[in-house]
Amino acid sequence: MMLALEMFRSVPRTVAGRAVGGRMPGILSGFAAPLRLMTIAEPKIDRPGWARLKTRLSGICGSDLGMLSGKTSLYFSAVVSLPFVPGHEVVAELIDDCEDLPAGARVVVDPVLTCAARGVEACSACSTGATNRCERITVGHLAPGLQTGFCKDTGGGWGQQLTAHRSQLHPVPEGFSDEQAILIEPLACAVHTALRAGVATNDRVLISGAGSVGLFATLALRHLTDAGEIIVVAKHAHQKELAREFGATEVVAPGEVLRRVRRSTGAFQLKPEFSAPYLLGGVDVAIDAVGSKQSLETALHATRAGGRVVLSGMPAAADLSAAWFRELEVVGTYASAQHEESFRIATELAATDAVQQLAKNVASYPLHRWREALDHAHSAGRLGTVKVAFDPRSSR
Amino acid sequence: MSFLKESVDDVRLVSRGWRWGRRAQVPRSAEEYVPAAKSTVFPSDWSRRKPAMAAREVAQKAGLQPLFRSVSRTRVEGLDVLARTEGPVIFVANHASHLDTPLILLSLPDEWRRRTAVAAAADYFFDTWWRAVGSSLFFNTFPIDRRGGTMAATPGEVLADGWSLVIFPEGTRSTDGWMGKFRMGAAFLAKEHGVPVVPVAHRGTFAAMPRGQGWPARGRRQLTIRFGEPISAGDDESVRDFAARVKDSVAALLDEDRSTWWEAKRRSADGTTPDPTGPPVAAWRRVWEQTESPEPDAPARRLAAWRR
Amino acid sequence: MSRPGFVLDVDDRTPPLIVHEGLGFRLESFPLGTRVVYPPESLPAVPDVDQAIRDALLHPHDMDPLPELLFAGMKLTIAFDDISLPLPTMRPPDIRGRIIEHVLTMAADAGVDDVELIAANALHRRMTEAELKHIVGERVFRSFYPQGKLYNFDAEDRDNLSHLGTTEKGEDIEISKRAAESDLLVYVNVNLVAMDGGHKSVGIGLASYKSLRHHHNAKTMVQSRSFMDHKHSAMHHSAWRIGRVIKDTVKVFQIETTLNNDIFPKPYDFLQKREWEWSIKDQATMLGMRRGLSIAPPKLKHKMFHDLRSVYGLTGVNAGEVEAVHTKTLEKVHQQHLVEVQGQSDVLVMGIPYVGPYNVNSSLNPILATCMGLGYYFNSYIGQPVVRKGGAVILYHPLNEGFNQLHHPSYVDFYEEVLAESTDPAVVGEKYEQQFAEDPWYRHLYRTSHAYHGVHPFYMWYWAAHAMDHVDEVIWVGADRKVAARLGFRAASTLADALEMASGTVGTSPSITYLHNPPHLLAHVR
Repeated sequence: MMLALEMFRSVPRTVAGRAVGGRMPGILSGFAAPLRLMTIAEPKIDRPGWARLKTRLSGICGSDLGMLSGKTSLYFSAVVSLPFVPGHEVVAELIDDCEDLPAGARVVVDPVLTCAARGVEACSACSTGATNRCERITVGHLAPGLQTGFCKDTGGGWGQQLTAHRSQLHPVPEGFSDEQAILIEPLACAVHTALRAGVATNDRVLISGAGSVGLFATLALRHLTDAGEIIVVAKHAHQKELAREFGATEVVAPGEVLRRVRRSTGAFQLKPEFSAPYLLGGVDVAIDAVGSKQSLETALHATRAGGRVVLSGMPAAADLSAAWFRELEVVGTYASAQHEESFRIATELAATDAVQQLAKNVASYPLHRWREALDHAHSAGRLGTVKVAFDPRSSR
Repeated sequence: MSFLKESVDDVRLVSRGWRWGRRAQVPRSAEEYVPAAKSTVFPSDWSRRKPAMAAREVAQKAGLQPLFRSVSRTRVEGLDVLARTEGPVIFVANHASHLDTPLILLSLPDEWRRRTAVAAAADYFFDTWWRAVGSSLFFNTFPIDRRGGTMAATPGEVLADGWSLVIFPEGTRSTDGWMGKFRMGAAFLAKEHGVPVVPVAHRGTFAAMPRGQGWPARGRRQLTIRFGEPISAGDDESVRDFAARVKDSVAALLDEDRSTWWEAKRRSADGTTPDPTGPPVAAWRRVWEQTESPEPDAPARRLAAWRR
Repeated sequence: MSRPGFVLDVDDRTPPLIVHEGLGFRLESFPLGTRVVYPPESLPAVPDVDQAIRDALLHPHDMDPLPELLFAGMKLTIAFDDISLPLPTMRPPDIRGRIIEHVLTMAADAGVDDVELIAANALHRRMTEAELKHIVGERVFRSFYPQGKLYNFDAEDRDNLSHLGTTEKGEDIEISKRAAESDLLVYVNVNLVAMDGGHKSVGIGLASYKSLRHHHNAKTMVQSRSFMDHKHSAMHHSAWRIGRVIKDTVKVFQIETTLNNDIFPKPYDFLQKREWEWSIKDQATMLGMRRGLSIAPPKLKHKMFHDLRSVYGLTGVNAGEVEAVHTKTLEKVHQQHLVEVQGQSDVLVMGIPYVGPYNVNSSLNPILATCMGLGYYFNSYIGQPVVRKGGAVILYHPLNEGFNQLHHPSYVDFYEEVLAESTDPAVVGEKYEQQFAEDPWYRHLYRTSHAYHGVHPFYMWYWAAHAMDHVDEVIWVGADRKVAARLGFRAASTLADALEMASGTVGTSPSITYLHNPPHLLAHVR
C-alpha cells in the first residue's frame, strides 16, 4: 500500500471550483479541489517493458491546476480515466530493472502514453515518431489516459509509486539534482513549442506569459531558433528578471504589450467599439503561454497578418476574428515528440546556468501538505516561485 | 472621517495663519508694498438693521438692564419732555463714566431707546470686531472719529434714518467728575440737520464707577438723570453760540438736579448758575466732592412701586 | 495702479502660502527665512483694444503700414499662435481673433482674394473646430473654415512644405509651403511669456521636424540659459538664424500682443492675491474650494479647473518687422513679469498648476508635469538660475493624472519604454528620437487625429535638460512614488520630508526660494 493524492469524480466540487475559483482562489485548494490523500494499492506491472518507479519529485503543472479548478474543457474528459493519481512531471528511480536500465537508475518520464506503452500496433503518428499525436490513447491494455498522471492504471507522480514503459523513460545524467531534473519535462514541451513556432531568422516573437511555460519557451527559442527580438509579457518583478536571463530582449507588463509591440514594429493600432484594441501589423510569431482568454487575444491581436499564433497553454475560448481576418496560422503545441529528441535537447538546456539557478528555487512539499502546495502553485508568480513540486518521500 | 479631520486641520491652519479675531499682519518684508489701510474701523450699518435691533432688545432687556439695576439705583426726571418731542433729537450729556451710556439708554422710554444710537470713539470701540459687535449690540453705538477722518457711517446718515443720537460733547470721560470743555460737534450736527438738542444731566456715575475702574462700586450707588427742554438753533445763530447755549442748558440742568427747578431757573436768569467745570481748588477736593453720592441720605430700600 | 513684484522673506507674521499642485493647491508653511518671489500685479489694460490694434497696424515698426502692403491679386497668409497660448485659455473674444478681423478688414478693402489662415501649431496637436473657432472668432471661422482656407499646419504633409535652404550653421529651414510662397505673411502672436514670439513664431510655429530637430535637442537646450532670455538661449539663436533666412524669402508682418497677469477670474481671484491681504471672503472661498476639491471626483476637478477662462487684459500690441516688434514686446512682458532677486539659493520650490502649454483640455501627465517644473518654471529666470549649481529642486504635483490617449499616444510609450531605460535627455534622444519621429502610426495620428507628434515627448524632456544638468536633486512633494521613480526623481509626502531628503545635497539649513507662480513671473537673478 502507498500514499497518494487521488483525483476523483465530484460534480459539486468541480462546479464550485469553476464558479467561484477565479474570485476566491482559497476555495480551490480547500473545498473545491476534487482531490484526496489516500492509501491505495500500488499500480501493478504485468507486461514486458514496464517497470515500477519510486517517485522522487513530481511537479505541479498549470494543466493540473486547471483540471483541479474545473476550468479545463470537458473535451478532455474522454481521454482521462477517473480516479487517477495526477502528476506528469516526474523524476523517479527504478524499482525493477527495465530492459537496459538497471534498478535504482534515476529517470525522468515522458508522460505521453503512446501505442508502444499501450501494447498496440503503432498508429500512423507514432510510426513517424510524432508520439504526442498518438491516436490510440484510449485503447490497448491501459485505461484511457492521454498521459501518465491522467490514467488510473499507471499511477502518477503525486503518489509514492507509479509505473512506466521503457519508451517513456529518459535517464537523468549524473550530477543533475532532482530539482533540475524535474524541469526536463516542461523544458521538453518548450523545445517542442519552439520547433512548432516556425520562427524564421530575425523574426519578432511575442511570448505572453512568464510562468514556467513562457520562460522555458523563451529559453528554447533563444537556443534553437534565430529569433530576433523576443518580447515577453511578465506580471511580476522576478519574472521580468528571469525572462531577461532566459533570453528576452524586452519584458513588458500586461497592460503595455500592445503599445510596445506597436512601437517596435511600427504597426497601426485600432480601437474597436466595446472591445480591446488590436494592431494592424505586429510580431511574426506570438506564443500564448498562459491559456487565458485575455492572453490568447493579446497574442492574436499583436500578430501581423499571416503570422503564427502558438497555443502553448491549454487555451480558453477567445475571439478568433483576427485569425480569420489576418489569416493567422494558429497552431497548437502539446507535450513533446520523440522524433524531435525533445528530451535530449531539454536535458542539455537543463544543464544551462539559468536553469540551474531556477532549479534552486523549486519549492517542494510532502504529500500531506497538498493544500498548501496547491495554494503556493496558484500564486507562484506572485510569490516568486517558478515551479512547485511534491516530494512523496518526505513526511514533513 | 478623514475628510472631517482634514477640514478641521484646514480651518485651524487658516485661523492661525490669518489670525482670526485679531489684527491681520503683514510680513515685514512686504510692508512697503502694502498700501496704507483706508479704514481700520469695522462697519456698523448692520447694527441698525432689524435682526441686530431684535438681538439688542434681548441683550438689553434680558442682560444689560437686570445687571445695571443690580449694581445701581437710578432716579429719572424730566421724561415728560420726550412725550412732547418728535424725534429724532440729539441727546447731549456730560460724561463722567462708562455707566453714562447704559444710564441714559435704560432711562429712555422703550420706543426712544430702540431708535437711539450712541456716538462712540471709533479708535476705542471699533478697532476689533468683537468690541465693535459687543458695544453696538449692548449700547447702540456707532463709530465717530475723535481725530477727524472718514467713517463707515456718518452721524448725518444715522440721523437721516430717523435715529436719535447720544453725544457726549466732552469727547472723553471726565477725570474728576466735573464737566469738561464742550466741543462743537453736537451743536454743529443739530444745526446742520435741523434737529433739536435735548440736554441731559446726570450725577453719581463718577462716584459709582470712575475712570479706570472696571466695575461699579459695591452697594448699589444712587444715580440721578434729568432730561431738559429741547432747544433748537436759531436760524441766524452761529454754531459757536448754539454750542454755548447747549452747554449752559446742561449746566442749568445739573444745577436743577442739585437744587430745585425754581432756584436753578432763577440762578440761570441771573447768570449765576454754578460753573459745571467745578471750583478752581485742589484736585483732591474736586474729586472729593464728586465722589459724594447725589443723595447720601437715601434709604437703602425704598418702596418698590416708586422705584425706577 | 499695479504694484511691482517683490521678494518676500517669510517671517513669523507670514500666513501659510498657496502652492499649486495639479488639480488643486495646498497651504504651505515655509521655513522662516524662505524667499518667496511674487510677480508684479496686473498692469492696467489698454483702454480701447480696437483702437490699439488699428494704431499698431497703421504705424508699424520698421515697415510700411499694413494697408500699403496689401494689393489686389496678392497671396496673403495669416498665421497665428495655437491653443498652447495663452494659459489658461482666454475668455472670448480671443485677442488673435480681434486682430485677424482688423487685418481681414484691411485686406478686403484692398481687394485681396487669396487669403489663407494657418494655425502655427508645428508639432502640436491639431486643434478641433471649436478650438479654432475660439481663437479666430465666429465670423472669421465661418468665412474661411468651410472652404478649407482656415486649417491647422501639417508638418508631415510633404507636398505642402518647402525647403528654404540652410543657415550658416547648416540648419535646415523647412516651413509651410503656402507661407513661404505668400506675398505677405502676417503672424498674429500672443506673447504670454518672454520665450514666445520673435523669430520663434514663423521659424518654429510653421516648421517641420526636419527643421526643428536642429534646435529642439538636448545639447541646444542645455545651452539655453535661459530660454526666457533670447539673447542667452542657444535655441533662440538658432531660431533667429533661421528667421533671418526666412526674412530673405518671405515678407513677414509680425503682430505681437502682450497680456497682463489677470489669470484667475472670480471667484478664484484669491489665487493671485498676496496671501496676507486675503479678506475673510477670500479665506472662506479658499477653504470651501479646498474642502470641495478633497471630495470631488477627479473628473469634476478636471472640469472645474479646465473650464476656467482667464480675463486677461491687453497691455500692448505691436506690429511690423519681427525684431523691432519683439524688442517692444519684451519690454512690456518684462514690465509684467520681471522681479529682481538677489543671488541664488540652495533649494528652489515650485508648485506645478493644472495646465501647461500642451494639456489644454487634456491631462497633465507626468512628462508634461516635469516639463512644466524643470522646463518652464525652472527656466523662468534671466541672468543665472534661481537655484545654485548642484542645488535641489522641490516640486509639488501628485503626478497621478495619467495619459490622455487621444492627445498623447507617444507619451505613453516614451514613459513606459524609453524612460524605463534611461532618463538622460541626451541618451534617450540619441537612441529613440528618430524612431519616434518617424513612426508611421504617430504620424498618422498627428495628421488625422488630435495627437501630438511622435517626437513631442522628447522635446518635453529636452526642455528639462538644463535643469537636470544644473541641479543634483529633484524631489516631488505629494507625488506618486512609482511615477517619480520612473522619471528618475524622488517623492516626498511633505515639504519637511523633502528638505530632509535634500539635506544630503544642500545641508540641513539650506537657503530656499519659492517662485509664487502662477501668475507668471520672470526672476532676474543678480
